[in-house]
Amino acid sequence: MLFGRSKKNPIKIADKKVQEWKYTTCGYCSTGCSMEIGLNPEGKPVATRGVAGADVNRGKLCVKGIFEHELFDSAGRGEQPLYREKHFEEYKEVSWDSALDKMVDEIKTIQSKHGRDSFAIVSTGQIMTEEFYTLGKLARGVIGTNNYDGNTTLCMASAVSGYKRSFGSDGPPGCYDDFDNTECLMAFGSNLPEQHPIIYWRLKEALEKRKFPVIVVDPRVTMFAQFADIHLPITPGTDLVLLNSLAHVIFDEGLAEQDYIDSYTNGFEEFSKLVEEYDPVSASKICGIDEDTIRHVARLYANAGAAMSIWTMGINQSTHGSDGVAGINNLNLITGNIGKPGSTSLSITGQCNAMGTREWSSCSGLPGYRALENDQHRKEIAKFWNVDEDFFPPTRGMAMTDIFPAIETGQIKGLWLVATNPMTSMPNSARIGKTLEKLDFLVVQDSYRDVETTQYANMFLPGAVWAEKEGCFTNTERRVNLIKKVTEPHANSKADHWIFTNLAKRFERAEKMTFPETTAEIFLEMAELSKGEGRTLDISGMTHEKLLEQKGIQWPFREGDEKGDQRLYTDGKFQFPDGKAKLLAMPYIENNEKPCDDFPFWLNSGRVVEHFHTRTKTGKIGNMNKFSPTPYMEINPDAAEELGLENSQYVRLVSRRGDAVVMAQLTHRVPKNMVFIPFHFHDCVNRLSLGLLDPYSRQPAYKQASVRIEHIDQDVAAKLNVEMRAY
Amino acid sequence: MFEVREDEPMYALLKAVEADQKNIFGNDIDLVKNSGQPEGVSLRINGDDGVGDNPNRYKQHGFHFTADNCIGCHACEAACSEKNDLPPHLSFRSVGYVEGGTYPNFTRMNISMACNHCDDPVCLKGCPTRAYTKHPEYGAVLQDPDICFGCGYCTWVCPYNAPQLDPVEGHVQKCNMCVDRLEVGLKPACVSACLGNALEFGVIESTPENREQKKTSIPGFPDPSITNPNIRFQQTKSMPRDFSRTDSAPIKYHKNDGTGTYKPMVDKKKIKNRQWNIKKLSSRENPLVIFTLSTQAAIGAFLIAFLGSFFGVESLQTLTASNIFVPFLFSLMGLQAFVLFLSTQHLGKPMRFYRGFNNLRHSPLSREALGVAMFLNFLVVVSVLSSLDHGFFNWIVAGTILNAISDIAPFDISMLASYIPVMTKIFSFLTVISGLICLYYMYCIYRIKARPFWNHWQVATSFFGTMFSVGGVLIGLVYIPLALILENSIVGLTSSLAAVIAFGLLLEAIGHIFHARDLQKNGGEGAASYALLASKFGNTYITRNVVLGISIITVIVLGSVQLPEAWQDLLLWAVLASVILLTSLVSRALFYIMVIPTTMPGAFFWKNKGFEEHARETGLAKMPQVGVLERDH
Repeated sequence: MLFGRSKKNPIKIADKKVQEWKYTTCGYCSTGCSMEIGLNPEGKPVATRGVAGADVNRGKLCVKGIFEHELFDSAGRGEQPLYREKHFEEYKEVSWDSALDKMVDEIKTIQSKHGRDSFAIVSTGQIMTEEFYTLGKLARGVIGTNNYDGNTTLCMASAVSGYKRSFGSDGPPGCYDDFDNTECLMAFGSNLPEQHPIIYWRLKEALEKRKFPVIVVDPRVTMFAQFADIHLPITPGTDLVLLNSLAHVIFDEGLAEQDYIDSYTNGFEEFSKLVEEYDPVSASKICGIDEDTIRHVARLYANAGAAMSIWTMGINQSTHGSDGVAGINNLNLITGNIGKPGSTSLSITGQCNAMGTREWSSCSGLPGYRALENDQHRKEIAKFWNVDEDFFPPTRGMAMTDIFPAIETGQIKGLWLVATNPMTSMPNSARIGKTLEKLDFLVVQDSYRDVETTQYANMFLPGAVWAEKEGCFTNTERRVNLIKKVTEPHANSKADHWIFTNLAKRFERAEKMTFPETTAEIFLEMAELSKGEGRTLDISGMTHEKLLEQKGIQWPFREGDEKGDQRLYTDGKFQFPDGKAKLLAMPYIENNEKPCDDFPFWLNSGRVVEHFHTRTKTGKIGNMNKFSPTPYMEINPDAAEELGLENSQYVRLVSRRGDAVVMAQLTHRVPKNMVFIPFHFHDCVNRLSLGLLDPYSRQPAYKQASVRIEHIDQDVAAKLNVEMRAY
Repeated sequence: MFEVREDEPMYALLKAVEADQKNIFGNDIDLVKNSGQPEGVSLRINGDDGVGDNPNRYKQHGFHFTADNCIGCHACEAACSEKNDLPPHLSFRSVGYVEGGTYPNFTRMNISMACNHCDDPVCLKGCPTRAYTKHPEYGAVLQDPDICFGCGYCTWVCPYNAPQLDPVEGHVQKCNMCVDRLEVGLKPACVSACLGNALEFGVIESTPENREQKKTSIPGFPDPSITNPNIRFQQTKSMPRDFSRTDSAPIKYHKNDGTGTYKPMVDKKKIKNRQWNIKKLSSRENPLVIFTLSTQAAIGAFLIAFLGSFFGVESLQTLTASNIFVPFLFSLMGLQAFVLFLSTQHLGKPMRFYRGFNNLRHSPLSREALGVAMFLNFLVVVSVLSSLDHGFFNWIVAGTILNAISDIAPFDISMLASYIPVMTKIFSFLTVISGLICLYYMYCIYRIKARPFWNHWQVATSFFGTMFSVGGVLIGLVYIPLALILENSIVGLTSSLAAVIAFGLLLEAIGHIFHARDLQKNGGEGAASYALLASKFGNTYITRNVVLGISIITVIVLGSVQLPEAWQDLLLWAVLASVILLTSLVSRALFYIMVIPTTMPGAFFWKNKGFEEHARETGLAKMPQVGVLERDH
């Protein structure tokens, strides 16, 4: 063996000279990883590490988290409020005071001319729960528009709706610990290794200790599908058919937990009657999974001592999204798999604080899972906020996906976008662009000046990002965790709650109300509001200090509790007035835009691990962006051969809505009649997508549309691709 | 010492294990025994004098990769780049993948690969500056960027693409095994970050918990016999017969049903129609194209002139005796000095060129460098000596200087003058010998197992062939114009030169024929190189072959007949000389750009040569976050 020098030089290894580690919670997805940001002697964030003692991630981080310290001074951050009279003029820098004064003027003008609801607010899943609460108070109690929603309509609305329809309330009933207890796991349209790598690792750890069957339902052979014991390559959009058929087999073969059904659910008769129609033979012809496999899976799931289901956008983003969620809930209710260790219906959430907005933003009603439709709830909140009860509308207004068409046709004249980027995230981008041009006044509040919506805006308010402020997020398993302020807001950007509070101060209506200065105080107000008999969403025992101490606490966590509840509905008591869950009879209606002669390919979309949402964050961090710096599609090599396409060649995709240029990646991950495109890129997949709305959740069906593939001059395409990439 | 947290998770802690005596390659795992170096020496990491208390400090460590488990999530790469503070265009660890099967029975196998801290570190052997050390502590092969001069030779010889040449900093960096973490009992950052439970680390040949295999290879992994790498694999799931790569390398991996192992072979789907791609002949290795050709030509020109004259070839004797011989020698010297300078400009840190001789014991590069230096120095001596008794210089020497010195010298200077011819001969022989040594080691440089396209005796026929062919042309180019001006005789010179040129070209052609045959026969990356050569550069390649053939015939014909008019003769020779030079240039350029190393498969964007090229051509590379440097040198 050769060793080289015997007289050795000292070894040099990069030393970032971290002097202090500051605790925070990751600001990307909703896994809710605890992390520490390392600051060097100059106080600059230079390193990130997972918190070893935190239960969620146990010291691990995914690629996005690992580089999160590079976020603070990444390119394109907003530095100063900007204003312009018309969207085709140049922006001018303005002071915060004049920006906020102007904004309040515009809101008042629009509302006085066209009515209170003509000014709409579309918020996010990105900011802190205390900020959501404050925004909700401002929107519902001060501005008083009923057209106020969050971008969670694009990702989690179907889960929310499904949970409400089945259990009487939102709130995922399970937790990650269920992996350690389950005997069978079924994942619907969820690609954990790529979308939620840390949750995948928790599952993998459980599997290393104790093997149990994993079933993955996904039209694509994702990494997860590849590692599954059974992969069901389903026809897009037909999950409900599979779910109804599984229930059919379970009833037919007497595998249901009849005791549980009788004691804790309503609607059995209607449901069992409906699923009779979904025998595996008929179902297999629609959903593409053969009858034997359907029976096998049904038996496996029903016979497991404890079985659990997880799902993500494969279910939520379809025309039967809400039904799919309720269908999964049905499956778990008839097999008695709710509220026990290893038995759950667990929606895996997307945004870091999608849960926070669902719980506290008042987007879909009033804070703390309260509804506008409930007189008692309106009274409670009106009193608590010191608002006239009649100021609240008796029913919920428009969802995000209805707000845009209402702008298009003139019912809505002003729009405030908070940390969301519909230019990239909404289906049919071209239509969204034209819609935004019709607004009298558009304010974009975002951490990034280069978010594409600023092209249409009159005002840009630079928000502080993530750990430039303190507050909390709630994760997928209802764990509230703290984000400590790691560094000062970039340039002259401000924390979102500061913006909300300072706007509120400018309205006369807010004079009788209180808007606390710090998020810790706001949190206490929420905790107070969360108290109540039989409430699941109870955080009355939490404070920022306690959250830090326990590195995140699951709700319910009542005053005096030592530990948060891991699971909901352990006593079989649900949130409907009679305490019983509902089995829902849901027929499948075929309404997708399916491949046809003119548009012969399914268009599917989804995430890649290195990017987050519309790339405003990750598109600027080289050590992540380099793994997919430019848009591409996965296409089956057999289809490519027929079309005369080669790997890495540019193609033009055409749908009934528009076209997009992508690079072709030839892979047998996708069937011959499907292309898959990561959804992160601006001016890409959503130029093509249709996004039919789910009737309950109003969530768009991003994953079902059809396209054709055309050749394009390679030089022209390459040039276009460069021009279209600002980041 | 590296900070260990109180609640450091179990998965990050190195396990105490009983080590085997020998590894699978038969080498001692105990490195103190193996190296004869003492225990208890501090690694002096960032100037820290501490000595780690890791009980297995002197055992060879290595990675264990469960290919069945890798999800391709990039956490290992990211953790590595975060810890080592790497810019986007570099990475000590990379994840690529191979794919096989048909939807939905499809397998993507991700492969995460860094340095394998080999038993037989070819990087250490190859590095001319001795920037590499294999430490008896953990068996870590560490590289010191402060010593490195950025020649990139280690990146050629390593079969795993572990050393990373940073064109921005001008030096190489690589995986340091996180020895700072090992010293305090922690696993490397990449291993601790793994989210698929695929990557493990420990004393080599110890099987990690819950794992049952420790294979030395998986599909896509280069032949372990090249370096005896310290990585073991588990791969138990059934695999498709063929695996393809998503990057641009036209390689797939085919299963041998008997052994179950996979062999690289040409992926014909990626082979396009014949093209020219003349512009793409220009690469970052351009300085080496010029340096090798010129050095070979200069050595050749001197060797032909001197040995020809020594063995009594009349026309060459006329040449060496003529007054043009001195400017001829100085031209060779100037050319050699210039291209040597050019070759140092190819270094990331040219000012450190002198470190090139530091590894004469192992590195062919050091030996070649010494060969070139000796050749040049002896050539200087020969030139100076020759200038003392040749042509117009002679009178200065004889008439002035010698007389002047002899007045004050205590002995008879004219006696010294009589030694000049002998001395010139001795030094001329030394020049020839050092030139040949230089060329031999220049040839050795390219006999790299990780680069099958080069690893063939054709390199020798090409280099020595060029010595004769371009060497002969060089004599003609320098001597004949001067001879014509000064009306010196060139009788017989063209036919003498024609003989050596033809010999050189023939040598080259024979090499090409066998090279093409063997590459195709042996398969793997070499065959892939050949397939690209015959397609992407197909037209260029065929034209080169045809022109080479015609050149050989023309040289032979022209050398044996005398055209009626001298100017016709000379004109034809001039055309022929240009053709030969151009052909050599094209051949050498192809030699550098066609190589496909045995390195691991890349991904669709990252570590995909095709995408890197595309990003540079289209301007995508202008955005730093694309991870491709705008210029690759």
